[in-house]
Amino acid sequence: MSKGTKGTDHSMDSSLEKESGLNGRLKYRSAFGALLPYVKPHWKTFLLLFGCIFLAVSAELLQPYLFKIVIDDYLMIGNVDLIIVVVICIIYLGLSLTNLIFSYLQNNLLQKAGQSIVGRIRKDLFLHISRQSMSYFDRVPSGSLITHVSSDTEALNQFFNQVLLSLLRDGMTLIFIIVLMFQLDVTLTLYCLILLPIIAFIAIAFRSYMRKTYQLARTSLSRLISFVAENLAGMNLIQAFHQEKEQQSQFTDRNRSYLRANLREIRTNVLFNRSFEILGNLSVAFVVWLGGNAVLNRSMDFGVLFAFITYIRMFFQPINTITQQWNMLQSATVSIQRIWSIFSITPEVVDMKKSIDIRLDQVQGQIDFNHIQFAYQDGSPVIHDLDLHIQPGEMIGIVGTTGAGKSSLISLLCRFYDVKTGSVTIDGVDIRNIRQATLHRLIGLVQQEPYLYSGTIVDNVRMFDKSISRDAVIQACEFVGANQLIERLKDGYDTRLSERGSGLSAGERQLISFARIIVFQPKILILDEATANLDSHTEQLIQAALHIVSEGRTSLVIAHRLSTIMQADRILVMRDGAIVEEGNHAELLGQQGYYEQLYLHSQGQTMNEAG
Amino acid sequence: MNFLKSTHLLVQFIRAKWYIYTSGILFIAVANIVQAYYPRILGEFTDQLELGGLTKSMIVNYSLLLMGVGITFAILAGIGQFHIMYVGRIFEFFTRKRLFDHFTTLSESFYSKNGVGKLLSYVMNDVTAVRESISMGVNQSANAAMLLLSAVFFMLLSSIPLYLIIACVLPMLAIPWIVVRIGPVIRERSMAVQQSLARMTESAEEQFGGIRVTKKFAVEPIMNERFGRTVDTLRDNQLQLVRISSLFQALIPFLGALSLMVTIGLGGYLTIQDHISLGEFVALTLYIRMMVNPLQQIGNVINTMQRSRASLERLNDLLSKRSEIQEVESARALDLHNTSIRIKQLTFTYPDATQEALHDIDLEIEPGTIVGIIGRTGSGKTTLMKLLLRIYEPPNGTVWVGETDIRDMTLESLREQIAYVPQEGFLFSTSIRDNIAFYQRDTSFEFVEKAAKQAQIYNNITAFPEQFDTKLGERGVTLSGGQRQRTSLARGIIKNAPIMILDDSVSAVDSVTENHIIAALRSERKNKTTIIIAHRISALKYADLIIVLDKGRIVQQGVHKELLAQKGIYAMLHSIQEEGNPHVEGY
Repeated sequence: MSKGTKGTDHSMDSSLEKESGLNGRLKYRSAFGALLPYVKPHWKTFLLLFGCIFLAVSAELLQPYLFKIVIDDYLMIGNVDLIIVVVICIIYLGLSLTNLIFSYLQNNLLQKAGQSIVGRIRKDLFLHISRQSMSYFDRVPSGSLITHVSSDTEALNQFFNQVLLSLLRDGMTLIFIIVLMFQLDVTLTLYCLILLPIIAFIAIAFRSYMRKTYQLARTSLSRLISFVAENLAGMNLIQAFHQEKEQQSQFTDRNRSYLRANLREIRTNVLFNRSFEILGNLSVAFVVWLGGNAVLNRSMDFGVLFAFITYIRMFFQPINTITQQWNMLQSATVSIQRIWSIFSITPEVVDMKKSIDIRLDQVQGQIDFNHIQFAYQDGSPVIHDLDLHIQPGEMIGIVGTTGAGKSSLISLLCRFYDVKTGSVTIDGVDIRNIRQATLHRLIGLVQQEPYLYSGTIVDNVRMFDKSISRDAVIQACEFVGANQLIERLKDGYDTRLSERGSGLSAGERQLISFARIIVFQPKILILDEATANLDSHTEQLIQAALHIVSEGRTSLVIAHRLSTIMQADRILVMRDGAIVEEGNHAELLGQQGYYEQLYLHSQGQTMNEAG
Repeated sequence: MNFLKSTHLLVQFIRAKWYIYTSGILFIAVANIVQAYYPRILGEFTDQLELGGLTKSMIVNYSLLLMGVGITFAILAGIGQFHIMYVGRIFEFFTRKRLFDHFTTLSESFYSKNGVGKLLSYVMNDVTAVRESISMGVNQSANAAMLLLSAVFFMLLSSIPLYLIIACVLPMLAIPWIVVRIGPVIRERSMAVQQSLARMTESAEEQFGGIRVTKKFAVEPIMNERFGRTVDTLRDNQLQLVRISSLFQALIPFLGALSLMVTIGLGGYLTIQDHISLGEFVALTLYIRMMVNPLQQIGNVINTMQRSRASLERLNDLLSKRSEIQEVESARALDLHNTSIRIKQLTFTYPDATQEALHDIDLEIEPGTIVGIIGRTGSGKTTLMKLLLRIYEPPNGTVWVGETDIRDMTLESLREQIAYVPQEGFLFSTSIRDNIAFYQRDTSFEFVEKAAKQAQIYNNITAFPEQFDTKLGERGVTLSGGQRQRTSLARGIIKNAPIMILDDSVSAVDSVTENHIIAALRSERKNKTTIIIAHRISALKYADLIIVLDKGRIVQQGVHKELLAQKGIYAMLHSIQEEGNPHVEGY
């Protein structure tokens, strides 16, 4: 089992190096340039795609040309050859079929490449994020990480889905139309090209306004949604505090600003689209005037004029589509930049080049904190010169107020952070020299809020590691006394759980996380307020489980309820990042310090007696 | 009848806004009639040109005419379109408001059955679907119908033979049919895409939420693979969708092209035979081109309508739901100061449950006392409090305040005089100050500060750079479990209500702080009633009366000392919690 994990880890490390090299070059490239390495493997597909678009666009655009031939060469002249009409019909059918087939292919090819690229980026991004140190996750709220992995990559997906296709297809259509128009009549085309700067002017004039409008609408929508979501979740409070009116009026404010943003968006869109439409119609009138005169002077055939009118109307379609992609292009650019800024972050805690491979089964579990100092931010140390030595198999209880440094101590032992000075060693080996994956397997951590994954109970206990047998899981559950509650459930060990724990109480979920510890057999066990928030019945089960689990292991137990740690071999009282009292329960009571005060409080014998 | 019911929401709305609607449709209609002149003018122009009867001034006239038609159409259609879309957004605005107002009237039994995600989808998806059909749907069908009608009308008016028109239009008639056939398949597959996207997001949510656990067990590769699978499913679903949707996108122009092929063949032949003029041939082609879009739109509209009918029904259903908790007409406002609470033979079963949550409860709470309630999870402690707050409806004549059944009180006076502090410490993403002063947002600052001090959260708040103006939530500060509970406690304390209920509100607070809080409450709420629910004996041992609940029944009651002397659950809990004895048998 551990061998398999190692192999994967090594490949992860090498791809990390590749990526950091990529990041170095990134500074000199635009966001889209960074996409290149992902696009490269698909170059054949893109080449094929280009061919398909070319064929589809030409087949579509040659259709009006065929009308021109019919009008000029046959209808105007009065040529009465039926076979020619049939042949032209067949050509027309051929063109339409070509358009049908290659349009279909072009979409499928693009999506195939685009989806593979986006999928690859999603996986890489996820991998990259989960490789970050714990400090990163403490700093960045998980909500924003989820946004990066799902929404930002979705914007990228839409870029491939819509923007890129439109740019390729509509861009090519536009060029083709211009070429065909030149083919038909150079002077008239040159006149028509006057339109281009006007179109550009309108587009630029509207662009930034439209983008602002679009963003305004999106922002007010997301405000509206989060307001409703939160109020639905807290509806019992709103009703219990009789605040319905107040919340309704706050909702109306947000609803109204969304309405305003929407109306502004509609106005802008209608205005924008209609001005293009007017421009299109104006240019047809213009072409009729110029072309009509030319036909009158016999310098142009009527069929040419007809085809020209069709093309000039077609001319506006691709322009319209392309401009409509602007917003999406904008949000895709922002998203790509965000994705790549994540790729450029490197983990703070990294494995040493030459890690010592220690064998898990030979670890004794001796822990030494050698004069350590630690600060989350420079200048405000959380732990000052702490020196602590724990014997193999010892059970240590830690108490202290919030901010005393209890959790920081644990984070340092797990190497979620690195110490500033001093060292943390296990069996005399500096933990910075142990590979993180090994270290994490070595130390088991149970937290206040047990975390369950969506999956069966069996999978939750063995953390989806199929190499651990079902029997081992069941045994572990029996060991911690979780078997009774599990057997009560409808599907027993195959009951599906979810993140929120579906139907299990906090204590029952905690029992399952204890079973995890049994299965994974860490040499060192840490309980971080693992028994807070439980009712006494479950706490009792947990206490019993704890007894079993801590057997033969070095264990550190943080608690704010003394009942959990009274029987520890040694109890530490921490305050302001230092150990201020130390000893077993009886010794500490004798010292008449903070511990004694805490004990009396829990017995309810100070404040209340006086008050 | 059923039809009337399901369109209730819409009928009301249209009745109120019909004039905007009518004017919008009118604009669109006129615009399309104008536009239908377009091919006709070009046809006439062609004929004149072919006959050689065209002069330079006539060309100018034709161009000006075309320009006039083009500009008039664009302006009229633009105005019409704006009207119709405006109506749609106004509909959305009012419907969302109605929904939100309605949400505030629904009771907890409704919320326990409907998750936030599901309710949000009413507000977002269903409202949007209905809006689309009444704005985009109406817009497009008015557009399409008028354009088709005028195109057909003008074609019939010309001397183009009927059989030619029919032959040319025939292939295109398949367009709406195809849209209606393929549309639902596309929708189904795009829903599959949405679902797999949601599943991927959930997976990411789960992995990042549990990253500490994942890392601690060093199972990152397994978790990466789990996430990777959701990405693959999403990709596959997306490719499935594109297969059908790109077929659809290619098929529609193809059918239009078939029609044009018939036009070129049959029309060309007839022109050569001089059955129709060249101008008529040109006009016919332009009309046929003109008809492709409206035909596709009609198909779209049919699909949108189908989708939104279901949404409309769901919305009407939701709006017709009534909370089971209704004030009686004779309900009175009552002052709860110095009023006792009496519970008489209360037996309660949750709606849809088979087991009784509370059984034959008799209890008298004197005004100005502290009452503690203890018992294991599921023993009925919270249920009792919810009945007292009328979050669920107690049976008639079981819960009394003074001489009045609480069902004869107005909900407003009941809830304004009870300060309820639930366990979970739910806070809103507003400032800390607004959270504490939730019962009355304009409460003066000194009271907010005082409540924060009593709840032992003052020092934590002043440690933030923005102090009481600190924003909470996603974009602001995240408080720890204990800090949340204490803030929520301050929100209850500030009400200074005659009755206060602490529903396991200090479970995540350490014992020193807990003691300070209890002491503050005891001195501050001298002549007021306080009910404390807790798992910890330390939180309620000084209560004037302690109730021990087990399986919905009161099994013990008395003061701390009395209960300790009895052999029972209370003494057992005490032994586990305060003497650190984890091996008491039988509980």
